[in-house]
Amino acid sequence: MAETDYSSAEDAALVQMAQKGDTAAFEELVARHRDKIYARAYSMMRNEESAIDLSQEAWVKGWQRLVQFQGESGFATWMTRIVINLCLDELRKQKRHRTESIEELDEESGGVERQMPAVTVNPTERLERGELRQRIDRALGQLSYEHRTALVLHEFEEMEYKEIAKTMGCSIGTVMSRLFYARRKLAALLADLKTEK
Amino acid sequence: MNEEQQLKLQAFLDGELPESEAREVAGWVARDAEATALLGELRNTRQALADFEPGLKLPEPREFYWSKIEREIQRLEPPPRVEETISLFTLLRRLLAPAGAVAVLAIAGLLAINQFQPGPSMEMEVALSDSGSFTYRDQSEGMTVVWLSYPAENQFTDAAVPDTLPQ
Repeated sequence: MAETDYSSAEDAALVQMAQKGDTAAFEELVARHRDKIYARAYSMMRNEESAIDLSQEAWVKGWQRLVQFQGESGFATWMTRIVINLCLDELRKQKRHRTESIEELDEESGGVERQMPAVTVNPTERLERGELRQRIDRALGQLSYEHRTALVLHEFEEMEYKEIAKTMGCSIGTVMSRLFYARRKLAALLADLKTEK
Repeated sequence: MNEEQQLKLQAFLDGELPESEAREVAGWVARDAEATALLGELRNTRQALADFEPGLKLPEPREFYWSKIEREIQRLEPPPRVEETISLFTLLRRLLAPAGAVAVLAIAGLLAINQFQPGPSMEMEVALSDSGSFTYRDQSEGMTVVWLSYPAENQFTDAAVPDTLPQ
């Protein structure tokens, strides 16, 4: 019997094989999309170890729920939704374990950044790609998980306000507020970083 | 600029406004320097993030990363398989087969119970091969009586019975 050439098979074909219990086909899917799933987990968790663990958990969940995948969206998109939900659950759990600070409550309502004058110069101009990544990484780490998640879902996942609201379990108004605050805070942080340099 | 205006500007950037409202905001941005500056900042931030995401790579080799997933998958039950199209006949067969098996088991059980149950000390037998004979057995009395009726009642059909006895 001829061996299956997994590497040249399309995602849909691999999914069908995996749905019949073929773990080698599933391994190929993991290999193809692992970076994206990890990146999403890392953007939300801000921690390498958590991101690896949660992304692996997402793959296991994906395997278990594979029969539910009908191909309405792409496989990678479907997997990304799974990892996002796992990260949100984990972040909510973490938040319940710590007291909300006054600063966080201020953030939720918009904080002082809302009133700040606009940063007119593009703070990321003339930065090398690696350096820019490091700066954004640091800046994202300073946002609360609600603001960061709104930003990640909108910018990286390209979700509309309505979809973000559904995913995060809040109103569209809250999504708009969180997104606006997150962007302004990020702009301020990037500008500060540039001044520091 | 109030909060509502700020959020409207952001919705304009994100393409979340209906066309008529988007045209209004575009006109406002063209006239208002503050709105122009804020829109520019929001756009720059968006661009910076667009460049950020693709750079992230999983910091573990493929085999190592997969091994943990594989172990967990093997530990768990296999996922439910996608079923092929089921015909009505297959469906009936699948439903009737277990029901039939249950019925057979029930009958076998009943027979087994009857076999081991201490029965009455008396019993009567009719030999199927010769329904003209009856055996009566009384265990307590140690007695067996056999009736023989010849010719047997059903040995001949009515048509076979001769009208007259042979001379």
